[in-house]
Amino acid sequence: MDILLQQIINGLSLGSVYALIAVGYSLVYSVLMFSNFAHGGFLVIGGYICYFALNSMGTGILIAGFLSLLGAGVAAVVTEKVAYQPIRENTNNTLYLLIASMGMSIVIENIFVVTIGGRFRALPAIIPTQPVHLFGLATTSAFDLISLLAAGVFLGILQIILVKTKWGLAIRAAAYNLRIAGLMGVNVNLLISITFFIAGTLAAVGGIFLAVRYTLYPQLGAITIKAFVAAVIGGLGSLPGAVVGSIILGLAEMLTAGFISSQLRDLVVFFFLVITLLVRPQGLFGKNISEKV
Amino acid sequence: MVEVSDNLILRLDHLHKYFGGVPAVKDISFSIQEGELFGLIGPNGAGKTTIFNLITGVYSPDSGKIYYQGEDITALKTYEVINKNIARTFQNLRLFPHSTALENVMVAMQQHHTYSFGEAITHFGKWQKKEREIKSESMDILALVGLAQRAEQKARTLPYGMQRRLEIARALALKPKFLLLDEPAAGMNPEEVNELNHLILDIHSKFKFTILIIEHHMDLVMEICPHIICMNFGTKIAEGNPLEIQRHPEVLKAYLGEEVDEL
Amino acid sequence: MSVYAEGIVVLLCVNAIAAMGVSLLTGFTGIFSLGHAGYMAVGAYMAAILTLRYEFHFIVAILLGGVLAAIIAYVIGVPTLKLIGDYYAIASIGLGEAIRLILENGGTITRGARGFPGIPPYTTLAVAFCFFIIMAFFMFNLINGRFGRAFKACRDDYIAASLLGYNTAKYRILSLVLSAFYCGISGALLAGFLSFIQPIMFDMMKSTELTSIVVFGGLGSMTGTLISVVIITLITELFRPISQYRMLIYGAILVIVMVIRPEGIMGQYEFGRKLGKTLKEKFLGNHFSKEGGKS
Ligand SMILES: Nc1ncnc2c1ncn2[C@@H]1O[C@H](COP(=O)(O)OP(=O)(O)OP(=O)(O)O)[C@@H](O)[C@H]1O
Ligand SMILES: [Mg+2]
Repeated sequence: MDILLQQIINGLSLGSVYALIAVGYSLVYSVLMFSNFAHGGFLVIGGYICYFALNSMGTGILIAGFLSLLGAGVAAVVTEKVAYQPIRENTNNTLYLLIASMGMSIVIENIFVVTIGGRFRALPAIIPTQPVHLFGLATTSAFDLISLLAAGVFLGILQIILVKTKWGLAIRAAAYNLRIAGLMGVNVNLLISITFFIAGTLAAVGGIFLAVRYTLYPQLGAITIKAFVAAVIGGLGSLPGAVVGSIILGLAEMLTAGFISSQLRDLVVFFFLVITLLVRPQGLFGKNISEKV
Repeated sequence: MVEVSDNLILRLDHLHKYFGGVPAVKDISFSIQEGELFGLIGPNGAGKTTIFNLITGVYSPDSGKIYYQGEDITALKTYEVINKNIARTFQNLRLFPHSTALENVMVAMQQHHTYSFGEAITHFGKWQKKEREIKSESMDILALVGLAQRAEQKARTLPYGMQRRLEIARALALKPKFLLLDEPAAGMNPEEVNELNHLILDIHSKFKFTILIIEHHMDLVMEICPHIICMNFGTKIAEGNPLEIQRHPEVLKAYLGEEVDEL
Repeated sequence: MSVYAEGIVVLLCVNAIAAMGVSLLTGFTGIFSLGHAGYMAVGAYMAAILTLRYEFHFIVAILLGGVLAAIIAYVIGVPTLKLIGDYYAIASIGLGEAIRLILENGGTITRGARGFPGIPPYTTLAVAFCFFIIMAFFMFNLINGRFGRAFKACRDDYIAASLLGYNTAKYRILSLVLSAFYCGISGALLAGFLSFIQPIMFDMMKSTELTSIVVFGGLGSMTGTLISVVIITLITELFRPISQYRMLIYGAILVIVMVIRPEGIMGQYEFGRKLGKTLKEKFLGNHFSKEGGKS
């Protein structure tokens, strides 16, 4: 019983980290209608900034975290400006954006490989990991509770931005139809930059938690595959879908690891992907994919 | 005049289509006889293009049925509808912009001159004969719409009026029994509209098929279509011959209302 | 010919076959894949197992390697390619991962992560070259005809294509199956050339190399793909000493080509009549460009 509860909490915690990544990815997808494969790169950039701020600059976790979020957000905006905006302005073929994003993902990863090397680095113990006893029912780690809480806070802030602010409204309009948002007088390039900034920041939060959980290395971004899968399960482009999909994946992974075999946890992810595509291809919250003719 | 037989080619039965709760098409029913040149008019946003999208399976109706030659085609996929010898053009052109005019037509024409996969990868057998037919018949159609000289030009570099005619050519290459034209005169100057009128009347009498034509401007339809329906806000407000339509109070109101709005 | 030069020619043929497959899928049908090295792995292991363990004739084994890759592509393609969107691209990452996991945990059948040694060296220069010529013959014929036009129509505007009576899902799946077949054959030839294969050889890096070749050569140009295979394979050989920059270079190629010249080095042109005409237009002035302009 307590093992079950414990694995559920671990699953929720892992799922909440996936959610931070998947929501940013889905947000970009909903506006530009392409799958930004460089999203994992933002996470790695955030992780390394946090690492160097803590180790080389000796800052505290709050400043390091702030720098990491800011740096990853800016990196996302720069990526968009350098690689995507010129393509967007030339054509509306999303295949080109997809290929460029794949290229950017490889470039970011390998810039780290050739400059600071591919070795694994452990972040200092900035987030407490001691065990916590939950009302005598189960034992879990403070880390899991904190990551769950942090994800909740950041996703809550995102929700407030999207619902309460002018730019949030514009982003939602753009998700409905980018061209119409442009016609309504929204500065489309600025709007896209803001979207990328938000996506980069959320990825950095996820990156810090993943780096603490698994250590930091240039290929850590590859874990975003799971966030992509979560977004597909929830419905590409849907934010609530991305959250629900992430939670489902996190739970599935941890329950598999706890009760079946930890070698199978990755296979379970793809199993869920295949089932979703076969049974409900548009995902749990997906809109029916249609284009105005 | 083309003889109008008593055979129904298309029947719409109480069609409804909503977009996010807003009706685009509301309880539309009408029938088209085989061989008719049928006009569908109405102000901006009346739901005309939506009717085309429903007929061709691009959207499926929320309720109602569509019958083609007596058969229920409501649930068919787009390509299945097209393969029943229906063809259409688009209000906002959808040519293949980086292909030549000839290639644009050949892509449609080849549907009637197929050869096997084996022949395709070896170029043995029927390949050469069929490819030659595809090309020469496509050239004939380009000549028919007056684009023979432009066959090798990229579609996107053609002047606008020619792109519109190229779309008609591409639809004709499907050898349809029933042709749907969505605002073929949009963006054309009066001289081009006049040429287009002749072209439509020409192909109608030459191929003896049924044409359903959407027009935003009444004049073109009034001139060439003996049978017209007028829509506004998703509903049918009038049906009849040009004279009846012209005098119909609802039609006058719809178009007058629009002019007032635009002022 | 020296052994080294011979090896490079074989490698060129092997890469060219796989690249033609990816070119058909990405360049002509507009579907982006991140897992084509997975199909190469399937072909390689199939041929290796069949020749070594069951003593199949190597030609039969190579062909069956291609067929198995095609079957797997079909199974993955049907649910993902019926959808519009990046579903196949995401599933293809999953595919690559799953194939690697299966090969690494395949026990005595695949011999796990340490690799599969002792494959008969059936891929001689003559075998590789013959396969290349035949596969190229089929591919160039295919794209020059009704299937080529249909693939491009589905790529350029799937709604317009379906309104010309094309079942676009069918053509997308066909294109994937054919490209997997080409990659499977290529992998099988690679197995016979190296005599030793390992799951890690068919990782994301290999998939990325294939896509970079196709993008660099020009989406929608088979000739460009072939030229690009030669350039990139040779560059990779030349820069072997600094191979840690290899991935950086592939990544940069993808971005730079997309930003500066998404049509790649060849645009959509093919050798022969069309290219001749283009060159003539370039040198003698293009009489079309004056009246048309960009729309
Ligand atoms: N895919 C869609 N999503 C949402 N609304 C749509 C969609 N397609 C059409 N509509 C809406 O349905 C209504 C009817 O549109 P439709 O295009 O059929 O009009 P129309 O009569 O063809 O007008 P026009 O003369 O401007 O072409 C409009 O209000 C339009 O905005
Ligand atoms: Mg319309």
